[in-house]
Amino acid sequence: MVIYSFYIFDRHTECIYSKIWLPPTPNPPPPPPPSTNTPTLAPPAAAHDGTAPLPPAAPSRTGTHVDRRSVSAKAGDDAKLIFGTVFSLRNMVRKLGGEDDAFINYRTAQYKLHYYETASNLRFVMLTDTATLSMRSVLHQIYINLWVEFVVKNPLSPVEHKGGVGVKNELFELGLDQFVRGLM
Amino acid sequence: MFFRTIFALIIINKAGGLIYNKTFHEAGLNKISTNDYLVLAGTFHGVHAITTRLNPVKAPSNRTSMQSGILTRPDPPSGLEVLESENFRLQCFTTLTGIKFLLFTDTTQANVDLTIRRIYEMYSDYVMKNPFYQLEMPIRCDMFDRKLLSYIREINNR
Amino acid sequence: MSHLAAGKTAGAKEAAGLRYPSNGKTIYHRPLNRTKTAELSQSSFAYLFSEMVTYAQRRVTGIQELEKRLNLQGHPIGLKLLDLLLIREPARSQTRPLNIISLLHFIKINIWQHLFGRQADRLEKSSNPDTPDEYMIVDNEPLVNAYVSVPREMSQLNCAAFVAGIIEGVCDGAAFPARVTAHSVGGKEEGEMWPGKTVFLVKFQPEVLEREALIGRA
Repeated sequence: MVIYSFYIFDRHTECIYSKIWLPPTPNPPPPPPPSTNTPTLAPPAAAHDGTAPLPPAAPSRTGTHVDRRSVSAKAGDDAKLIFGTVFSLRNMVRKLGGEDDAFINYRTAQYKLHYYETASNLRFVMLTDTATLSMRSVLHQIYINLWVEFVVKNPLSPVEHKGGVGVKNELFELGLDQFVRGLM
Repeated sequence: MFFRTIFALIIINKAGGLIYNKTFHEAGLNKISTNDYLVLAGTFHGVHAITTRLNPVKAPSNRTSMQSGILTRPDPPSGLEVLESENFRLQCFTTLTGIKFLLFTDTTQANVDLTIRRIYEMYSDYVMKNPFYQLEMPIRCDMFDRKLLSYIREINNR
Repeated sequence: MSHLAAGKTAGAKEAAGLRYPSNGKTIYHRPLNRTKTAELSQSSFAYLFSEMVTYAQRRVTGIQELEKRLNLQGHPIGLKLLDLLLIREPARSQTRPLNIISLLHFIKINIWQHLFGRQADRLEKSSNPDTPDEYMIVDNEPLVNAYVSVPREMSQLNCAAFVAGIIEGVCDGAAFPARVTAHSVGGKEEGEMWPGKTVFLVKFQPEVLEREALIGRA
C-alpha cells in the first residue's frame, strides 16, 4: 500500500490541513521537470524506509528555495482542485443515489482517492495507489483517534481553524505520520 | 436489493455535451430531469479533466523507453475510471476519440469492463454506421436503442 | 524478369488477335477475390453505403426523390450483374430468363446469393386481381439496412431503395421493364420478429404481361 497524500477540509470548504508523503516531483529537481531515469525508482523505495522527504533536499542546495515555494504553491492548487472534485462528485452521488447516499472513493489508472465526510461537514481525503482497498475505516479512525483527541479536545485549539490554526500541533502531526507509516 | 443490475447509461461527447442517456432499471437511481442530466454530463466532464491533473504519480515525462527494440511511450494519465458510492458504482470508459461512456451499476456488478466494451461496439456499429447520424449530436437511432436494450435486459435477468 | 518475358510473348501474340487461355476460362469466369470465402468487410460496405445515402440526400426535396436517387445508384449495378452472373453459369444453362417466374427466381436465388450470401426469404405474387402485374420479393433483414436507423420524420424512407434499383436493373437488362420499389413492413403483421422486414414490389410494364400471355398460349 502506498499513501500519497492526505487532506482535511473544513465546513467553509477551506483546506485546513494537508500532508504529502511523496513530493510530487521527487529527487534532483531541476526547475523544469524533465526528470532523468532515476526518479521513477525512488518514490516506492523512499516510502518504505520511512525517510521519504529527505533525499530530494540533499542533492541540489541552490534550487531549494524556489522549489519549495513552487511545490507548496502546487500543493495549494492541488488542494483546491481536490476539494472541487470531491465536492462535485459528492453532489452528483447525492443527486443520483439519494440523500442518504455517500461518495466513497474513485480511482483512475494511476491513483485512488478516498473520501470520508463527518456529520459536522468535515471532509477527509486521502490519495493512495490503485491497489489499495477501501480506506474509509482508516479515515474514520483518523477522525476519532487523532482529530477528536488532539485537535477537538485540545483546549488551546480554536473552534474555527482558519488557515489551519490549531490543526498543525505536534501531537496530531506525529500521530498521523506514525499511523500512516504504520499502514504502509 | 437489486443484485447485479445495470441501472443506466450515459454517453458524453468530447465537448462535454450529453448525447445519450437511458435508464434500464427504474428503482436503481433517483429520477432526474433531462436538464439535470445535461448539467451532470458537463460537471462530470470537468471533474474528469481535473482528476487527470491530480495524478500524484509523476511518470518519467518526455522519455521514450525501448522495449524489445520498439520505442514505446508510457500511457498518459487517465481520468476517473471507477467511482463507488454506498448505493451504486459508476464506471467510465473514455474512447481514443474522447467520447465517454458512463455506466451506472449495482455496487456488486462484475465484468463491467466487458459490458462497456460491448456497448462501445454497438455504438460504433449502429450509431457510427448510420447515415442519418451527425457526429457530436444527440443519438436517436432505433437500431441502437433496440440492440442495447436487449443486451442489457439479458444481463439484468441473468 | 519472368513478368517481362510473359508480357513480351503476350504482346507478340496480340497482333494475331485476342488470346484465350487453353482451358477456355477467362478472367471474367471467376471472382477477383479468390480467397475461400470470397467475402468483403461488412463494415467497409456499411461506411460506403452510409456515404452513398448522405450523398443522395444532398439537395433532395423529398423522400420520394431520395429513394429515386438511391434507385438510380443501384440500376447500373443490376444491368451489369445480369451479364456477369449469366456468363458464370455453366455453358448449357447460360440463357437469359425468358419468363417472369424464372426471372424472379434468378433474382431471388442467384442475385441475392451473389450480393448478400443468402437467398431472399420469399417470393409472392400479388393476390389482388386488379394488379396482376405486381410481384413481391421479401427480405426479412436487408443487409444494406443492417446499421441504418431511419429518423422518425423520414419514416416513409427505406434505404433498400438501392437494392430495388439493382433489381430494376436486372429486370430491364433481361428485357422485362419494371418499376421496383422498397417498402418497410416490419413490426406490422408478424409482430416484432423482423423489424427491418422489407418488401420489394416489382411492377412490370403492361407489354411484359402481354408477351407473357402470348408465350403462355403458344
